[in-house]
Parts: sequence; structure tokens; C-alpha cells
Amino acid sequence: MRWWRSLAIVTAGVTAGFLWNAFSGRGFVLGQSVFIQAGDEVIEAAEAKNRLDQGALFLDARPVDFHKMSHIPGALSLPEPDFDHAFALLEPRLRTHFNLVVYCAGYGCEASHIVARKLREKGIHAAILNEGWPAWTDAGYPTKQGAEP
Amino acid sequence: MDGRRLPHEAGGGALSFLRNRWFQLVLRVALGAFFLWASLDKIAHPAAFAKIVYQWQVLGPVGSNLVAVLLPWIEALAAVLLIAGLWKRESAAVIAVLLVVFIGAAASVMARGIDVENCGCTSVTAGHKPEKSFFTGVGPFLILRNLVMLGGALLLVGAPPREAARSAPE
Repeated sequence: MRWWRSLAIVTAGVTAGFLWNAFSGRGFVLGQSVFIQAGDEVIEAAEAKNRLDQGALFLDARPVDFHKMSHIPGALSLPEPDFDHAFALLEPRLRTHFNLVVYCAGYGCEASHIVARKLREKGIHAAILNEGWPAWTDAGYPTKQGAEP
Repeated sequence: MDGRRLPHEAGGGALSFLRNRWFQLVLRVALGAFFLWASLDKIAHPAAFAKIVYQWQVLGPVGSNLVAVLLPWIEALAAVLLIAGLWKRESAAVIAVLLVVFIGAAASVMARGIDVENCGCTSVTAGHKPEKSFFTGVGPFLILRNLVMLGGALLLVGAPPREAARSAPE
């Protein structure tokens, strides 16, 4: 057993991985979430809190049951799987509000990015809370329980 | 040649079978083939694999990105060497370490109650059918399967075939 050989396998794999990511055309930017696409405005929790204090309207892209358990104060439920139905109900309000922030369940959750893109297709801009609900609660910012905003 | 048994010759029939060169050939090729197959879809779709790694919620976005880009290539190289019979013990050791990491991460996901329908172990596109999530998700089946493969990998690392053991220098 020669341990340097195992190390060589790992080193060769790492090298091949970086080269593939750089030159294959299938790679992506390693320093940020793969969910982020051109046109997305991603903000941190502190900036989101500033916007809440300035009257921003928050949109909760998580499933409605999660929204009922707890959400950011004032947030409206706009779950990504039920976007078309929920958007139809909220559209008049969303079109008159120019400071929107959408969030979902964390960095493993793509729903906020999808909702923000669907809104953009309809001519409505919404910022995305980076790392979503956990980033907000970990920062100790206020939450509200129940279905009411 | 003095009639005493060498340490590697000790043990019963089960150990003798586990060190049979044909059994180890099948084990080596099967383990290598599984890991090579498991790596191909991830290599072809690194961004999709990264999204799955995010769901494990172990490393954060940047760490998950690195795993998504690098891990499949390490799997593939170790698998190819294992199948080819080159650096057999060393490539088996790499796979064993990967399996230990996978088992630990899966246990962490289960302990935190995170629902991951597709572990991303073999495909980045499976898992959309709920009835299959028992086999594709992070759960007891995944841990059991990885434990079985870990046993095989450790066997290849620690107990080379009997013929090789006889000729191997101390």
C-alpha cells in the first residue's frame, strides 16, 4: 500500500474537475450559488431588514404550510408550485409596490429565484434574499406566526 | 518453509473465500463499474449536481459547488483504476474514504430531518418520482448500500488476493 498513489488519484481528480469546469462549456461560477442567473438581484439579510424597515413587501416562495407556521412580518404567500394562482390574487398589489423581496427555505432552495424570474417575465422586479429564511432567522430578525401577513 | 503457517494463511473458509482472486476480481470490477456509472451523469451535468448537493445542507453554496465539480472526477479516476487493476488497493482506499464521508453526511442529513428525494449518488435527474425516493433519496437504504460497498472496498484495501499475498514482499 502506497499512500502517495491515493493522494495522486485525488490530486488528478481535482485537477481534472477544475479543468472540466473551466473548459468543457458545462462549468459554472464556483464562488456563488448556481441558482443565481443574469438579472437576479440578490441581497443579504441585513439589507433585507433595511428594506423591511423602509416598507418593502416580502413574498414567501415556500409552500403555504411553512408560511403559516412562521414568516417574515408582512410577507405574502406566493408559493412557487402554485405561482399562477397565487399571482392572480396578488397581482394588483404587486404592480403598485416597487420594493419587493422574495425568499424561500435556504441556499438549497431554488423557489425564490424561480418566483423572481417569473415576476420579471411579467414586468415586476423583486430582489432575492440570499440563503432565505434561515439567514433571516439566524440574524435574529423578527418573524410572525400564522396565515395573516 | 518450516511448516508454520504464515499470518495471511490463517483463518477459516470464509476468509479464504473473501481472499479468492476471482471473488476479488468480481468485487473490484463491480465496485469500479458502480462508481464509474455513478460519476458520468454528475460529470455531464455539474450545475444540476450542485443543486442536489445544496439540498444536503452540509457545506454551504461554495463548498457544495466544489464538491459538485471535483467529486465525480475523483470517483471516475478511482473507478477506472479499480476496473483496470492498476493501483488496486490505493484506488479502493480512495473509494473507501469517499464512502465514509457519504455515510457521515447522510447520517447528518437524516439526523437533521432534511428531506432529500434524490441523493445525487448515481443520477442528477432521478428522484422526481416519489415512489422511487426510498431508493434514490437520503435514507436507510442509502446508508446500508454504502456500508456494503465500504465493506467491499476495505476488503480490497486490507486483504489482497491470496496468490498476491503469497508473492507480495513484506
